[in-house]
Amino acid sequence: MTFLAPWALAVGALSAVGALVLHLVARQRPAAFVLPTTRFIPDQRTLVSRVATRPRDLLLLALRMLLLLAAGAAFARPVLTPARGAIAHVVLLDRSRAVANAAAARARALVGSGSPVVIIAFDSMPTTLAPAAWDSVTASPRTGAPGSLSAALVAARRAGAALAQRADSVQLHLVSPVAASELDAATARARAAWPGAIQVERVAMRTDSTTSWRLEQALPASDPLAPSLPAPETALSQRTVRLVRTFPSAADSAVARAGGTIVRWDTASTARVAAEGLALGDDVVVAALGRASLPPAGRVLARWADATPAAVEQRVGTGCLRDVGVRMPGAGDLALHPPFQRIVRGLLAPCGMVSPEVAASDADVAMIAGATHAVAAGDVLRAGVAQPSPLAPWLLALAIALAVAELAVRGSAREEA
Amino acid sequence: MSAGPYGALLDAVRGVRWPAARRVTGATLGAHPSQLRGNSSEFSEFRPYRPGDDPRRVDWRLLARSDRAYVRLTTDRATFRTSMIVDASASMAFPEPAFDKWRLAREVAVGLGAVAHSEADPVGLAIAGPEAVVLAPRARRSVLLEMIRALDATTPAGSVAIAPLVASARAARVVVITDLLGDASELLAAAALRVASKDEVIIVHIVAGEELDPPGDALLAVDPEQPTLRRILDGEMRARYRDAFTRWLDEMGAATRAAGVRYVRAGTDEPAPHVVRRIAGETARRGA
Repeated sequence: MTFLAPWALAVGALSAVGALVLHLVARQRPAAFVLPTTRFIPDQRTLVSRVATRPRDLLLLALRMLLLLAAGAAFARPVLTPARGAIAHVVLLDRSRAVANAAAARARALVGSGSPVVIIAFDSMPTTLAPAAWDSVTASPRTGAPGSLSAALVAARRAGAALAQRADSVQLHLVSPVAASELDAATARARAAWPGAIQVERVAMRTDSTTSWRLEQALPASDPLAPSLPAPETALSQRTVRLVRTFPSAADSAVARAGGTIVRWDTASTARVAAEGLALGDDVVVAALGRASLPPAGRVLARWADATPAAVEQRVGTGCLRDVGVRMPGAGDLALHPPFQRIVRGLLAPCGMVSPEVAASDADVAMIAGATHAVAAGDVLRAGVAQPSPLAPWLLALAIALAVAELAVRGSAREEA
Repeated sequence: MSAGPYGALLDAVRGVRWPAARRVTGATLGAHPSQLRGNSSEFSEFRPYRPGDDPRRVDWRLLARSDRAYVRLTTDRATFRTSMIVDASASMAFPEPAFDKWRLAREVAVGLGAVAHSEADPVGLAIAGPEAVVLAPRARRSVLLEMIRALDATTPAGSVAIAPLVASARAARVVVITDLLGDASELLAAAALRVASKDEVIIVHIVAGEELDPPGDALLAVDPEQPTLRRILDGEMRARYRDAFTRWLDEMGAATRAAGVRYVRAGTDEPAPHVVRRIAGETARRGA
C-alpha cells in the first residue's frame, strides 16, 4: 500500500501525538470535593494546569487519536499498489508518409514478451494500438499523412503514466525516420515532458529510394517552371512524368493507364493574378498567382489559402492524371524561392509520391534521444496523475463515526463530572 | 423501648436535668417552676393580703401572731413543651461517608429529647429535610422511639427552609439543630419573634472539623446544595477560606445572641452526651 499524499498521514500522526501531549499536560479539573461551606472560598478559576505521568480519559484519548489518524490516512489517499514489473515499453511507431515499409517490422522486433507494452502508431494523430492490431499495422505500414512527433510524444507521456502503475520504469522507443517535417515548434517541449531517454530506431525514409524522377521532355529554359526542377544529372530515373499544357490526348490517357503520370499544368500567364497563398504539405508560398478551374473530383494535392483545391489527382488505371490550377506571373523570381520549388517538385512528382522528405538534423535527433541514457522512472511518470483511492471514503467515514463517538463520550464524561 | 445505637447515649445522659431558663406558664404539673403560684404544698413566701385574694390562702396563724393579714404563697411546677427542629438539608450530609454532622445532630436531638422526656416534658420533633416530618410534642412513653425512627429514616438532601418550622413550632422551648448554611437570616428573625413571645430558643450550631480545616487533597470544592458553585481550594485560597469561615462563625454567634437566642456551637469531634450536658447545664446555671 502506498499513499498518494503521505504528508497528510504525517500531519495526522503529528496531530495524534499532539492530542496525547494535551491529555498529559492539559488543564484539568481536579476531583470534586463536597464541601458545604464552599461559599466561603474566594472565587477564582476552577481549572489548574497539571502535568500527569499518565494520560487522563484514556477512552477519549484513544477515540481522538484514532479519529486524527483515520482522517490523516483518508486525506493521504492510500492506494493498494499493484504488482509491478521492472520495466515497461512504449513504442512510438511512425506511420506517416515519410516512413518506409520496415518501420512496423522494426517495432515488432523491439517488443519483447512478458513486459507491458503500449504501441502508439502516429502520423499527424497518435493512435494507441491493441496487440491484436499488429497484423493490420504490418499490412498497411503507411497512411500518407504527414507525421507529428509532438503529438506522438504527448500521447507517449500519457501512456507512460498509465504504464507506470504496473512498472518501476518505462522505456520509450521511437521507430521513425525522424523526418524534418515531423518536427515542429512544440517538439522540444513535448520531448522535455518525457522524464528519461528515448531510444530512437531510425528507419528508412520513403523518399530514400523513390523520389528520383524526371520529366519526359525537359522544359525549355524560358518555361517559368524550369528554375524549380532538379538539375538534369540528378533526375536520371526510370520513372518519367509527362507534362502537358492542354487537355490530355488518348495517348496520354494510355500512358496513364499503363502506370504513367500525366500532369496538366498550363503555366501560361494570366492577367488575373493576385496575392494568393498556396500550400502543399508543409510548404507555403504567398505570391502573385492566378487560379485556374479544376475538375471537381480527385484527390487534393495542394490548396489555396481559402482551402479551395489548387491541384487534384485522379487515378487512371495504374497511373494518374493530375490537374494543376496554378497560373504563374509573367515575370518575377518566384520560381527561385525554395518553398515554391518544393511545391513545384511535389506537383510534378510521379503518382502517389509526396514531396521529398528531408531527414532531421543530427542535433534534432540527439534532442529527441535525450542527454541521459536512463529510462523514465515510474514514480516520476505517476507524479501528478490522479489516482483513485478506494480506501479514502471508508477512512473518512470511520473518522466521522469516531468523531460522533467522541462527542457522546465527552458528553457523558461531562455529566459524570 | 429499643434505642438501638442510641443506647449508650441515653445511658450517658440519664440523670441530666434540663430546667427551663425561666418560669414556665404551663398548667400541667411538671418539673419546671411555674409562673403560677397556687395551692401546692411547696411553700415559697408570704405576701401581704390584698383585696381580691382568696381568703382561704390567708395564714391565720401569722395573722394571730402579728395582727397582720398575709397570704401564703406556694411554688407551682409545670411541664415545658419542648420541640427539636433538625436541619436535614444536603449540607448536613458531611463529611462523607460517615455524615458526622448528621450523626451529631441526630444524637443531640435524641439526647435532649430523652432529657426533656425524663422530666415529663412533652417532646416533639420537626425534620427540615427532603420529606417534612413533624411530630407534635407528646409526653407519652413512645415519643422518644418515634423520634429515633423518624431521624433514622431520614437522609439529608436538598435545601429546605427551617424558619417556617421555627415559627410554627407548638412548644415553649425550641431547639434548632442546624449548620446555619441555609436560611440563617430568616431563621434568626423567626427565633427572635419566639424569644419576644417569652419562648426559649436554642440554636445548636453543628460544625464539622473538615469544614474548619478541609483535607489537603480537596482542590475543587463543590457546594452540595448548589452544585454549580465550584471553587478551587489551594494555597492562598485555603487560608482565605479559613479566615472567612471563622469570621462567619463569630458573626453568627454574635447575631444569634443579639437576638436573645441561645447559641451553642458543637463540633463533630465532640461527643453528643457532652453537647447535651453542655446545653442542659448551661440552662441550669442560667436558671439558677
